Amino acid sequence: MRSVIMNRITKIYPGGNRAVSRLSLSLNQGEVFGFLGPNGAGKTTTVKLLTGMLSPSDGNCEVMGIDPSKEPEKVHALSGVVTEHARMYDHLTGMENLIFYGSLFGLGKEEARQRAENLLKRLALNEAENQRLSAYSTGMRQRLSLARALLHRPRVLFLDEPTSGLDPESAQNVNRLIRDLAVKENVTIFLCTHQLRYAQEICTRYGLIEEGRLLAAGTLDELRRSVSPRITVRVKAAGISSDLISLLHLRKSEREDREAAGSREICLETEVSSEKEIPDLVRRIVSGGGDIYHVSACLPSLEDIYFTLTAGKEVRS
Amino acid sequence: MKTAIYAVIRKDFKSVTDNRQLFLPILLVPVILIVIIPTIFVLTIYFVPEEMGDLETLLSMLPESAGNAGIQHTILRVILNNLLPVFFLIIPIMTSSVMAASSFVGEKEKYTLETLLYCPLSLGQIFYAKIMASFLMSMLVSLLSFAAMILVMETEIAVMFGSIILPSLSWPVLLLLLSPSVSLIAITLIVRGSAKAQSMEESQQKAVFLILPLMLLIVGQFAGILLVSVWLLLVLSAICAFAAWILIRGCRNRFTCESLLQ
Ligand SMILES: Nc1ncnc2c1ncn2[C@@H]1O[C@H](COP(=O)(O)OP(=O)(O)OP(=O)(O)O)[C@@H](O)[C@H]1O
Ligand SMILES: [Mg+2]
Repeated sequence: MRSVIMNRITKIYPGGNRAVSRLSLSLNQGEVFGFLGPNGAGKTTTVKLLTGMLSPSDGNCEVMGIDPSKEPEKVHALSGVVTEHARMYDHLTGMENLIFYGSLFGLGKEEARQRAENLLKRLALNEAENQRLSAYSTGMRQRLSLARALLHRPRVLFLDEPTSGLDPESAQNVNRLIRDLAVKENVTIFLCTHQLRYAQEICTRYGLIEEGRLLAAGTLDELRRSVSPRITVRVKAAGISSDLISLLHLRKSEREDREAAGSREICLETEVSSEKEIPDLVRRIVSGGGDIYHVSACLPSLEDIYFTLTAGKEVRS
Repeated sequence: MKTAIYAVIRKDFKSVTDNRQLFLPILLVPVILIVIIPTIFVLTIYFVPEEMGDLETLLSMLPESAGNAGIQHTILRVILNNLLPVFFLIIPIMTSSVMAASSFVGEKEKYTLETLLYCPLSLGQIFYAKIMASFLMSMLVSLLSFAAMILVMETEIAVMFGSIILPSLSWPVLLLLLSPSVSLIAITLIVRGSAKAQSMEESQQKAVFLILPLMLLIVGQFAGILLVSVWLLLVLSAICAFAAWILIRGCRNRFTCESLLQ
């Protein structure tokens, strides 16, 4: 079942700023969708369109079959939202805040307390539950926001940079929680983020947006295929003649140049279009008198794809 | 749904009572207006009755029969039933505008409004809950202030003059008709300005304009131009209730999440 559908949605802010332009996307239930793009690309605007905070200038969208611009309260009952500008009350404690928001979602006081305690424990906030929010750090507030968004067991989660202020340990913890939600509870997750490495760990599909336009969407494999399907092979070797280097189209690897400086080994890399070419490459180096210390094959990472796509766009325009 | 609305109302009450900067004026103004000022009046009449020349014109407007009970009693009755009601109106105006400003503009200022909008209540229900919270707070403070005022004044009068003066029909009209509709006017004016206002102070300043007509009424009292009577209060209540109704109706479809959050 499709849980989030966007159909040629466009948002032009008053003042003529075209933040989202003819965006069409759909998400399956239980999918972790990573929504990536540089600052000002339109990610937050998209989240606000999907949660009914903004009404689209053109096109339409649906969350669990409901149009958020027409019946936002019904969408909110089924979804949890974390954004930078959705804060909680400083004069209340973490627990009081969660109980208050729980009551808005129809949770009784005891039910809300139990659910909150459970979530706070998972987010490593249980020691701060009786502190007022004014004493919370940025990262603690961010984790509490996530707890708030999860209180009512939403079917869809909209997360706008949920880990941007978190230390590596908490970020990993939150990412694990997000993935668990998708895998065990079949929650659909729409995740806007700049942290591409974390995104690559937890997302099942990606969308790349720039200046309001969708540049590409798909799984990592699909993106790789569309951007550059080639595999980079890195070889650390010694005793290779320069003739052989040019014959095999090898080039000196920039990455490991510094490491290898001063030693006899050199780091070389080349691109092949399939893994099947690697054994032959190795054989030719060895028969040419080279000593191989290390061979690795790398597919382009999400980061590589991101840079290729955003740079490619610049060249075109 | 109802419990969610109650939760918002309770939370709004708590945000004001937890915030000393807001709660202090809500407490202090009534204390000054209905405890300290009446006490000064009563003491003045007791110790220097001949100084009450200011009220001469006022007294001349009273029906002759009122003068029978002794000049001091008459003056006390005029103060309680004709002068104080006008002062008293400042209380609901101030309470409801402080509360409304904190509940609408304050939430926007502190970025908690967006979170509230992500809950499964419609915009109309959130507005209803917030208007109710300000209204209830205003009524609560008004009624408590009235009780405190009667207690203090009657005690003073009983101790100093040996008898008590009953409040006239003006007071129920004031408490149950005029002050609710004036509160609603103050609240809706603040709510209307809330989308544009960026800070609480800014939106509270607008409510000051509501106090101006009241000042005219007070000056008119002292100058003896017009005297607050049950009839005058009833007419004012009707006008204010009508104005409040029109303002609230205009408020309902005025806002979207988008216009509130910009
Ligand atoms: N309220 C607003 N009024 C006018 N323009 C806006 C408003 N909010 C955002 N914009 C513009 O819309 C565009 C998209 O902004 P948006 O906040 O969606 O970007 P983003 O992808 O979330 O960026 P970031 O990574 O920095 O969070 C930007 O050009 C921004 O200037
Ligand atoms: Mg953003």
